[in-house]
Amino acid sequence: MIRSLIYSLTFHSVMILLTVLSLPFMLREPVDLPPIVSVELIQISDKTMIPYAPKARKIIEDQKKKEEEKRVVSEQAPPSAKAKEKPDRIPLPNKKEEEKKIIKKKQNPEEIKPQIRQSSEFEKKEVVDTNQIAALIDKAKEIEATEKKDSNKITQSNKKNSFATGLTLSEEDALRAQIFGCWSVPLGLPYDQNLLVRVKLQLKKDGTILKSEILDHERMNRPGQKFYKVLAESALRAVRMCQPLKVPPTGYDKWKDLQLNFNPEEMLKG
Amino acid sequence: MTLKSNLKNILLVIFTTLLLSACSTAKKSGVIDGDVYTGKDTVEYLAAGVPDRVFFATNKSSLTTASRATLRKQATFLRKNKNLNVVIEGHADERGTREYNLALGERRANAARDYLMTYGISGKRLSVISYGKEKPVNAKSSPISWSQNRRSVTVKVN
Amino acid sequence: MKKIIYILLINIFFVNSLSALIEVDITRGNLDPLPIAISPLHVDIKSEKYKDLNVKDLGDKISEIIEKNFRNTGLFNPLKKDAFVQKPDIAHLKPRFEDWRLIKAQALVTGKLLISGEKLKVEFRLWDLAAAQEMTALAFTTTPSNWRRVAHIISDKIYERLTGEEGYFDTRIIYVAESGPKTQRIKKLAIMDQDGFNTKYLTLGNELVLTPRFNPTNQMVTYMSYFRNMPRVYLLDIETGSQEVVGNFPGMTFAPRFSPDGKKIIMSFAKDGNSDIFTMDLETRLVERITEHSSIDTSPSFSPDGKFIAFNSDRSGLQQIYVMRSDGSNVKRITFGKGIYGTPVWSPRGDLIAFTKMHKGKFFIGVMRVDGTGERLLTENYYQEAPSWSPNGRVLVFYRETKSGTKGEGFSAKLWSIDITGYNERRLLTKTDASDPSWSSLLSK
Repeated sequence: MIRSLIYSLTFHSVMILLTVLSLPFMLREPVDLPPIVSVELIQISDKTMIPYAPKARKIIEDQKKKEEEKRVVSEQAPPSAKAKEKPDRIPLPNKKEEEKKIIKKKQNPEEIKPQIRQSSEFEKKEVVDTNQIAALIDKAKEIEATEKKDSNKITQSNKKNSFATGLTLSEEDALRAQIFGCWSVPLGLPYDQNLLVRVKLQLKKDGTILKSEILDHERMNRPGQKFYKVLAESALRAVRMCQPLKVPPTGYDKWKDLQLNFNPEEMLKG
Repeated sequence: MTLKSNLKNILLVIFTTLLLSACSTAKKSGVIDGDVYTGKDTVEYLAAGVPDRVFFATNKSSLTTASRATLRKQATFLRKNKNLNVVIEGHADERGTREYNLALGERRANAARDYLMTYGISGKRLSVISYGKEKPVNAKSSPISWSQNRRSVTVKVN
Repeated sequence: MKKIIYILLINIFFVNSLSALIEVDITRGNLDPLPIAISPLHVDIKSEKYKDLNVKDLGDKISEIIEKNFRNTGLFNPLKKDAFVQKPDIAHLKPRFEDWRLIKAQALVTGKLLISGEKLKVEFRLWDLAAAQEMTALAFTTTPSNWRRVAHIISDKIYERLTGEEGYFDTRIIYVAESGPKTQRIKKLAIMDQDGFNTKYLTLGNELVLTPRFNPTNQMVTYMSYFRNMPRVYLLDIETGSQEVVGNFPGMTFAPRFSPDGKKIIMSFAKDGNSDIFTMDLETRLVERITEHSSIDTSPSFSPDGKFIAFNSDRSGLQQIYVMRSDGSNVKRITFGKGIYGTPVWSPRGDLIAFTKMHKGKFFIGVMRVDGTGERLLTENYYQEAPSWSPNGRVLVFYRETKSGTKGEGFSAKLWSIDITGYNERRLLTKTDASDPSWSSLLSK
């Protein structure tokens, strides 16, 4: 029955097609659209890695000097205020951690939902390949973990004699606030990916950058991780735009190596 | 005896009518009964006393009592005019997606066609076309205008 | 208004007690559109005349198109040109980065063009101003009359480099151009560049036409026409203008769309008050029934891998969205929220379905995961429907109709677009009223 229907439909459609093609009304003037062009792409990046213009360097240095002067003045002014701030601020981290937990709880129902609705096998297996994505994330985490160890080793061997203390909270806040202002978060990042970018810095005493390095560097060139390259670049750009960083006037040994963990996940989810 | 039972019946009928109208007045607002247009505006006539269209509730294609009465008149008219063919146009209001409304209009036109066929009109004389929401009869955006647009219209072909 | 959004302040301070490496978490940043300077392209003085093209202005015009494209994304803030200090030719050779940084630009686009021997050669460079280095550089050669497309292609390359996603500027939109009163609308197929330029009409308006959709190569369009009062699905070759009816169905066919490989058309066929979904193979002409149900099954859309079909059906009583395998098996309802759901369209990435929702007298455009979870409503209005995806899956275009007044006046239909984040809703400029938009894929790929 169905087969004969198909035969009949096919036959009819051929007939109709013949009729249609032979009828004058179906003929129409071709529309005057520009043809689709093929363009030649030539890579010309090799030609142009231009060094700083000498004039530029001067201006930059002048500016830096000016800014340095400003900085010195402003940081010397309120030392007493800083001291007062400290006790108030100490309990803050705990509160924030609680907040974070609550937020995570809120997000959970959404995360669980897909599992409840696993009624259709194909959705799981083929449409959203969650397993694969999960595997990818796990891999990234593994790599991250090993790298973290590595970086620890390096710093350990280099800095045997350093003090085991970091910046004070207010010092850290100042630095953080500065970088917040400089960091243009790329828009259009995926919601469901690990977005942590770790940047390791070596600083000069004046807070300018001697060396900067992305710790998960090879992830930038992994397929499907183009956004990560963009994100890492934005982090580097932020640090460079912020130079010189607002570092404390003292304790250079403590902060000459600094790691910044950029992560926009919380911001994007909020 | 018969008189008495007749009286009884009449009383019963009056009573139930009152009861039903009490129910329906809750939904009745002028020319809309429930969701279906019951007025005369926009209606045209195939012949004297034979309205050309019937109206439907939102997202529905079922015929109301009034619609059936109208279609019976159309059937009588078509039986009298044996050489007349008609096309039944199905329409929807603007409050639905375009593609679904095309299907809905087709379903409404076929509801009218099926009813005419049960009254002895040959299917060959009754063709069907759906315009979805593309040809509203009333351009306003109001419940009354939408109810006038949810319709199937019987149009003479020759 | 400057919109610096500081959303969450989570300060966790890790002191790595072993290494004493100080770590600072940066969890907030600036969500302002990225400031970008787009320098006018330098026009080489050796450039020759070409037809009626004003070669002198071409550099300005190309940079203006790029600028407009970028402003329209909502992700970038192209800076005003009067603040630019460097001349285009010098900037293109070696920008003084600190000059550009002074106007708060983070990226800079420079370029130059030359017309010689009936050929237009355009090159551009994208600079990272903070790092003081070039990010990408390309050159294009084409016929001079294609200069608008070159501007769009450059926009795509810059967008891709700065966001990590494919662009969507070198694309077209096909839609239905509308005119006349609401009760007697005249509708024509129209096609335009994504930015509203180069509008062309493909039909004359003698018959009602609806729901045009591109094939994957953008050369064919399938649409519905009431030609000779026979509502049927048609196939139109844009370049030759030839048209044909799709299949030989004894009744109305509608809601057509191409399969992702372009070999089939999927559509609804209505017979005796019942609409079901069919496909027709364009090569073999073989027609296949996909659904068989007494309800209305329509608005079918393939997943990008071609393995699944989303559609809407009122088999539950009201219009809801369902997903099935492409052979029609394993039908699953995926919408259970309050309201009526329709017009599912699978995203090019395959991870989302865009839809129209009707609830409490309002119409919404939204997206959800392909299993129906994670519903996000992007925009609410009196009437809007028929979302279509940008080729990179980042933006939706749809049409919106206004409520008409007590005398039927004030009705209009316009195209709008919105980012899938729900931001950056804006109207697409069309010469007439417009509906049923369909976004092409990238033209140069």
